[in-house]
Amino acid sequence: MSELLKPASIVILLLVIIAAPGIQDRLSQEASRYVDDNESSHDGLPTKWDDKQVICAFFPDDYPHRDFTLGVTMIDKDGETLGVNEDFNRTGACVGGFDGYTGGMDFMMDSTRAAGGKLSVGYEVGEWGPFVHTIGSLNANSITGDFGGAYWNLDHNGATSMVGIGDLVMAEGDVISWSIGTW
Amino acid sequence: MYDFHNSALTPIQTILLNAAILSIIVVSLMRSERSLRDQSQWTMMALLVVFGVSGRILMEPLPNVQPVTVLVIMAGAYYGAPRALALAATIALASNVLFLGHGPWTIFQALGWGALGVVGASLAHRLIVDGELRVNLLAVVAAASGFAFNWIVSLSILLNAEPSMLAPYLLNGLVFDLYHAAGNVAFVAWISVPLGDMMLRHRKDPTRKSVRDLVPN
Repeated sequence: MSELLKPASIVILLLVIIAAPGIQDRLSQEASRYVDDNESSHDGLPTKWDDKQVICAFFPDDYPHRDFTLGVTMIDKDGETLGVNEDFNRTGACVGGFDGYTGGMDFMMDSTRAAGGKLSVGYEVGEWGPFVHTIGSLNANSITGDFGGAYWNLDHNGATSMVGIGDLVMAEGDVISWSIGTW
Repeated sequence: MYDFHNSALTPIQTILLNAAILSIIVVSLMRSERSLRDQSQWTMMALLVVFGVSGRILMEPLPNVQPVTVLVIMAGAYYGAPRALALAATIALASNVLFLGHGPWTIFQALGWGALGVVGASLAHRLIVDGELRVNLLAVVAAASGFAFNWIVSLSILLNAEPSMLAPYLLNGLVFDLYHAAGNVAFVAWISVPLGDMMLRHRKDPTRKSVRDLVPN
């Protein structure tokens, strides 16, 4: 029996590796049902983006983005700047008006491209998938202060995302936002 | 100037390369162990730390497939809970600080692996019978431990998220639990017997307790 375990263990491991992406997609969709969409996640965004997919990046006061120092700049999917909302009490940019995306990473890369390089994304692919370290030239690792470290935190519809951007399954009208978190 | 090192590896090539390096480390450690005196328990623990840290780092391309869980369960079974806890915390801290990223999750990983070391210690009499490791039972324990460890570490999200997020978070992580369980079974199948033999050689034999007082002739 113990000798059978060696080939069996390899077969089991290979089966898990092969089946993992499909299982993960199903689980992510299932898990997203348990998370209520925050209806207010579109608050402050242009009304033309209602029911559209939006990405926002907010920058800390000590590390503002040089192009988005006043309020939150709204950039449409074709790159047109729709306006600046100064009521957000934070600075950064949102890019919106998208639909049809289901993969978080695809959406992030395509949508930030619409900002003309101002929200360019840097990431590494590690054990847990893509790990975003830089947005709009701000590398979280370069942020210092009275804390252990900083990272780009991902919110999905106003709540902390349960998964990384690589595993995020998006629906129509979803809003994802990035802001700096510390530990 | 030639740039021979500027070659990108595919994920599968990386996994195969790292598995080969890990094999070299394991074989080297096993040969080193042979030169140790019997019952060199602390030296053996140091070898286990090296194996655990290098295993965690080199197997990184395969999520959650690493030898540490099996190591701490076996350390608990052969050396007892306190040494398994020390091994768990040392491997978690060393691998995270040096390479994988240190943060609040490190304490949850140390606690998770430490708990599994305690489980290994409490099951020692069932896992090791007459000096023989019961591999199949260890495989079952290791597979279940894959899930238990991940759920303990997942509690770390409560530092930043509402408790209601925990259930969907665990559901989302089931694939990674499966990776962990399957990896543990593979490590048990391939390394537990030689590792158990090594650990047994360096276990304090309770029948050979040293006697402090001289026995008068």
